[in-house]
Amino acid sequence: MTYLIQFIISFASTVGFGIITNIPRRALPTAGLTGGTAWTCYIFVQHLHANVFLANMTAAIIIGLLGNWFAIRKRVPVNMIYIPSLVSLVPGGTIYLAMKNFSLGHYANAQAGVITTVTIAVALAVGFVLAEVIVRQIKQHLRSRQQDSLAR
Amino acid sequence: MTTSHEHAVLDVCARIGRILLESGAETPRIEETVEIIGRTAGVAISCYVTLTAVFVSLTNQPETQLTKTKLGAFNLQKVDDINQLSREFSAGQVSFDDIVTRVAAIDQHVIDFNWPTKILGAGLVSVAPMLVFIADWSDLGLAFFIGIAGYLTAQLVGRKATATPYAKEVAGGFVIALLAWGLVASGVGHHAENMIVSAVMPLVPGVALTNSMREIMAGHMISGTVRALDALLIAAAIGGGVVLATTLLHLCGMI
Repeated sequence: MTYLIQFIISFASTVGFGIITNIPRRALPTAGLTGGTAWTCYIFVQHLHANVFLANMTAAIIIGLLGNWFAIRKRVPVNMIYIPSLVSLVPGGTIYLAMKNFSLGHYANAQAGVITTVTIAVALAVGFVLAEVIVRQIKQHLRSRQQDSLAR
Repeated sequence: MTTSHEHAVLDVCARIGRILLESGAETPRIEETVEIIGRTAGVAISCYVTLTAVFVSLTNQPETQLTKTKLGAFNLQKVDDINQLSREFSAGQVSFDDIVTRVAAIDQHVIDFNWPTKILGAGLVSVAPMLVFIADWSDLGLAFFIGIAGYLTAQLVGRKATATPYAKEVAGGFVIALLAWGLVASGVGHHAENMIVSAVMPLVPGVALTNSMREIMAGHMISGTVRALDALLIAAAIGGGVVLATTLLHLCGMI
């Protein structure tokens, strides 16, 4: 039940950000699905093992895999799905709080916030790189199989 | 000596690079797209993009076109349109002359969501999944409306005060904090901090930050660093707006 609510809220969030950033209409539902699934996985991993890096990396891998698949099916650039899907995961709130703490003079909190932000951003970026590696392998595999069947 | 065709290709490629950059595409993709279009048009070009300029150069000749750009908001429909165009061009479905006219058309006008839809979108983003089961549901419901107010303020100020950098983020943060604390003072809301964090979601540069990290990892050090710096300043501007509103309310004895 908890996961269902999380999924619905993050789905709505992703679609909302897709609207603000003006992504192509045909990518809107699939982006929502990707964002919702990734966020639910993030929550799941955090419940299993409270580690920010691991949870964000898993979510980014999910976005990378689903995003590439949907991008091929809907014929849109993969970034159209990446950008809205990231909105719930991304350290926007954290960096805002960190900068607010800086302007209030709470330097220790501010530094911790900046480091958390960088950690999350790196985790997401690493997740994307891993996903791209997996996708490239699958594509190569499919291509070589296609060539085999053509050769025959 | 450069021919007129090479000139035209250089021109349209610089324009494509600028449109893509201002619409929020990532630098590796921009360089790739521009170089593919040049190659398909029969001219070997190299493209280099930092976040404030697009360089398009003929590979074996001295001619280079430099276009200065400004960082813009996301408009992914334009990126998709250009992408579609480049794909059709590579497949030989459209001629080079068509490209020139269609790029000009994309530059001037692009379909956009209407305002009520955008407002709904901003509201949906303002209910942050990160705060579900942490903040009260009533606070999240209020954040939906506060976020809309903040988004609209930022858009309005962004349109009027184009000369002042980061004015729109400060104004957005200011309005959000004002409304959140006002609602708490009138007894409708419970925790202003939660409402503010949730409502600034449409404004914060989280996606830009993550994209900057991806660019840095892909070897685009300069544009990645510039993007990260810009994101940091945007976050600071929002924080500044929030702190300003809170301090003002403190001085007036409201909270």
